[in-house]
Amino acid sequence: MAEKDVIDPSNVSDLTPTSDYISHHLTNLTYGWCDKTESWGFAYHQQSLFPESSCKVSEMGFWAFHIDTIFMSSILGVIFFGFFGLVIRAAKKGVPGKLQNFAEFVFEFISNAVSSNFHGSSKIIGPLAFTSCIWILAWNLMDLLPVELTNFAGAAGSGFDYFKVLPTADVNAPLALALVVMFFVTYYTIANHGILGFLKEFINPIELVGYFSKHVALALRLYGNLFAGEMIFILIGIMFGQFLMSFGQTLWFFPGLIMNLAWALFHILIIALQAYIFMMLTIAYINLACAKH
Amino acid sequence: MNVNATFFAELLAFSIFIFITYRYLWPSFSSILDARQEEISKGLEAASQSQRKLEEAEDQSKKMIEDAKSEASTLINQAGTRGDQIVEEAKTQASEEQQKIKTAAEADIEQNVSKAKENLKQEVSALVIAGAAKILEKEVDEKSNKEIIDELIKEL
Repeated sequence: MAEKDVIDPSNVSDLTPTSDYISHHLTNLTYGWCDKTESWGFAYHQQSLFPESSCKVSEMGFWAFHIDTIFMSSILGVIFFGFFGLVIRAAKKGVPGKLQNFAEFVFEFISNAVSSNFHGSSKIIGPLAFTSCIWILAWNLMDLLPVELTNFAGAAGSGFDYFKVLPTADVNAPLALALVVMFFVTYYTIANHGILGFLKEFINPIELVGYFSKHVALALRLYGNLFAGEMIFILIGIMFGQFLMSFGQTLWFFPGLIMNLAWALFHILIIALQAYIFMMLTIAYINLACAKH
Repeated sequence: MNVNATFFAELLAFSIFIFITYRYLWPSFSSILDARQEEISKGLEAASQSQRKLEEAEDQSKKMIEDAKSEASTLINQAGTRGDQIVEEAKTQASEEQQKIKTAAEADIEQNVSKAKENLKQEVSALVIAGAAKILEKEVDEKSNKEIIDELIKEL
């Protein structure tokens, strides 16, 4: 966090360092426990809105909630799973409509991925793969919205200065997903090989590291890819924003547009691929847990 | 990268969405697709069945056409022979009739000829008698000469 929170508008070009811009874009809208005031509250950015005594985001401890991540991930889940629910509700017998065709295509795609890579018997693996793939895809798609626009709109909409629209770029969300996967992997290992069989895997203690790092890597792979993607959008924004300020030529808008577009087109690949990879690895890990040694 | 209590909220949200998918979305999609699969397999079976029926019907119709054709050809053959027969009969009848008419006409002609010969004989005999009388210019016993004249006539 930059120390300067009050910006003198007279020499804004000097006093808005790129680090401030970046950290502004990478800071979540946080609600949490503040030790200074010994109360719950929003972390401040604008000094005019919050007293000096309240906490900054960085000063909040573990007991803090990223309101933007929770809000965006939940609303995206409601929209995307709601879409599938509505399609099912509207499903007719006989020839399906276009939307139903699309929903069935998605379902069959995931169902085929599960049935061709998972050889045990499990009722939860299908729903788990479906939920993680669709939800992560929904999150990742938020990366295609213009960074400046979403930040501005989110900040304006919430009344606070911070708003990160991309839940995947908040490490908590992928970690939560990976923990659920780890829970099921552990559950199926114990269910298929017994508690002794599960413990026998850790005769060599280094396996314990592998066991945890496998799932942490699952989360960090997703997080890292999308965080980096977001970062590049921000850097493109900075680059052409600086040009705009220093030369005052709106012509610089077009190279920025082209570069943003180029990166967005490439990023579509990463968006879909990361959701797919997460799903496939989930299936593979649970398949391994169910496999006979 | 700061891990905090957001983690628990995300955990809760993910669990809820998995539960919804597990309880509602996944089984519904499965049942919809299973029903569709069954429907399609039924439809395909019905299609193959009707195809088979169609083939059977085609075979049957072909057979019927062939039967009808052969029947027609026998009928035509029969009609042909019958026609020939009729023509033959008519021919023989006609020739018989012709023969009959011919013989009748011949008999008639013969009759007429003999009649004419008789008449001619009569007339010639009369003429001969008259001629002889004139040549001789005397009374000739008609009775005694008649035999001679008749013999002459016969020789004609």
